[in-house]
Amino acid sequence: MKIEKINKWFGDKHVLKDIDLEFPAGQTTVLVGPSGSGKSTILRSLNLLEQPNSGTYDFDELHLDFERNVSRKQKLALRQKTGMVFQDYNLFPHLTVLQNITEGPRQVLKLPKETAEQTAMELLAKVGLKDFANAYPAQLSGGQAQRVAIARALAMKPAYVLLDEPTSALDPELELEVLRVLLKLAQENQSLIIVTHNMVFARRVADKIVFVEDGTIKYDGDPAGFFAPNNPDERIRHFIAAMTMEELEE
Amino acid sequence: MWHTIQGSLPELLAAGFKYTIPLALVSFFFGLIIALLVALIRLSRQKGAFKILKGIAVFYVWLFRSTPLLVQLFIVFFGLPHLVIPGAFPDGIQLKPFTAGVITFSLNTGAYASETIRAAIASVPQGQWEAAESIGMTRVQVLWRIILPQALRVALPPLANSFISLVKDTSLAASITIAEMFSVAQQITAENYEPLLMYIIVALIYALFTTVLSQLQAWMEKTLAKTTPDQ
Repeated sequence: MKIEKINKWFGDKHVLKDIDLEFPAGQTTVLVGPSGSGKSTILRSLNLLEQPNSGTYDFDELHLDFERNVSRKQKLALRQKTGMVFQDYNLFPHLTVLQNITEGPRQVLKLPKETAEQTAMELLAKVGLKDFANAYPAQLSGGQAQRVAIARALAMKPAYVLLDEPTSALDPELELEVLRVLLKLAQENQSLIIVTHNMVFARRVADKIVFVEDGTIKYDGDPAGFFAPNNPDERIRHFIAAMTMEELEE
Repeated sequence: MWHTIQGSLPELLAAGFKYTIPLALVSFFFGLIIALLVALIRLSRQKGAFKILKGIAVFYVWLFRSTPLLVQLFIVFFGLPHLVIPGAFPDGIQLKPFTAGVITFSLNTGAYASETIRAAIASVPQGQWEAAESIGMTRVQVLWRIILPQALRVALPPLANSFISLVKDTSLAASITIAEMFSVAQQITAENYEPLLMYIIVALIYALFTTVLSQLQAWMEKTLAKTTPDQ
């Protein structure tokens, strides 16, 4: 999966500037950076929830050029290959947990009910929620809701799972539940792309770190180099120090 | 008094079940279809030729909300026969009373209900569209399976209001020669000279119909709340 020369404007605000990125399969890529840097926009572009104004996007045999028209077919095909997990879960409130997970497989992949439900139950077991199949989203804690959202994304058997600040709305204990699930997925070599502010987790799970600021990529490489105390980029050293609160006492 | 009530009740109820209720039900059914289409057109972000359609939708809602229902009935039933279109309607547009009633009531209800449905759809968070589209559902699938079921909960009370209003408004159809309940009450009054009693009886029958509808609404709200608890 690869994007090249991606540009995106919101009105006259240039939020992504000539972004080139590769996302290795079977690995975990973590996007970090200050708020408003464009990292979420990159992630949303990969699922085409945002459509860049220019640039190309290559995914297996699919080739998209954003200066030409992206066909509906290409759009739907890409979305099936990329599962999305949102900051505020966005579970469907009128469906049970099980129905939330089977909705995509049944409506989009046209799988029979039994097959879809069997897979959904396996995924619920994986995220530790198999007793909650018949609950409604309103009855879940934030951590449980986000784990259901992860199961919902996995049910489409996507090549990549994209996570947009998946734990930002959670308190630390609930965050841990979700991060455990993500770590397990990473260890099973599920391709993940995560936008997060949690540096401890980023360091632990990332195979590759991308630092985004002002719509440009300031670092693209292994976590060891990024977190190294002698990282030559002073801005990055300050960012990490701030995020890990090393400079709390001035 | 008992005699008058006994004598008129079967006739009034017959008119109610034969005209009032079918007129309200059929008109509400078509009204809802119109309302959904108009709401979707107005919410759509399509450009180009679609903008003309949007303009027509806005004009339609404005027209039917800003003129009296009784006047609309008169235009459709008494006015359209004078609208001569060479080729298509050389003798004017002649409609049967019931048809004219259904057309007018449907268009009138559709205008009001389209605002209800538009607001209800807009009240469903954008994140629901995104979540559903992110798993590869088409816009139509998202609308039918994810957005409308949630919008229905919001729209149900005001839609029930519209339906109850419609049931009562069908009494205006008396003026375009439909033999619905109120016009039958008028006819009986002309024979027995008991306007107070007759109009109270017919009022009570309307109240009975609408009370049943209110109960139905309460039941539906409860059922929907059970399957979709508040977030």
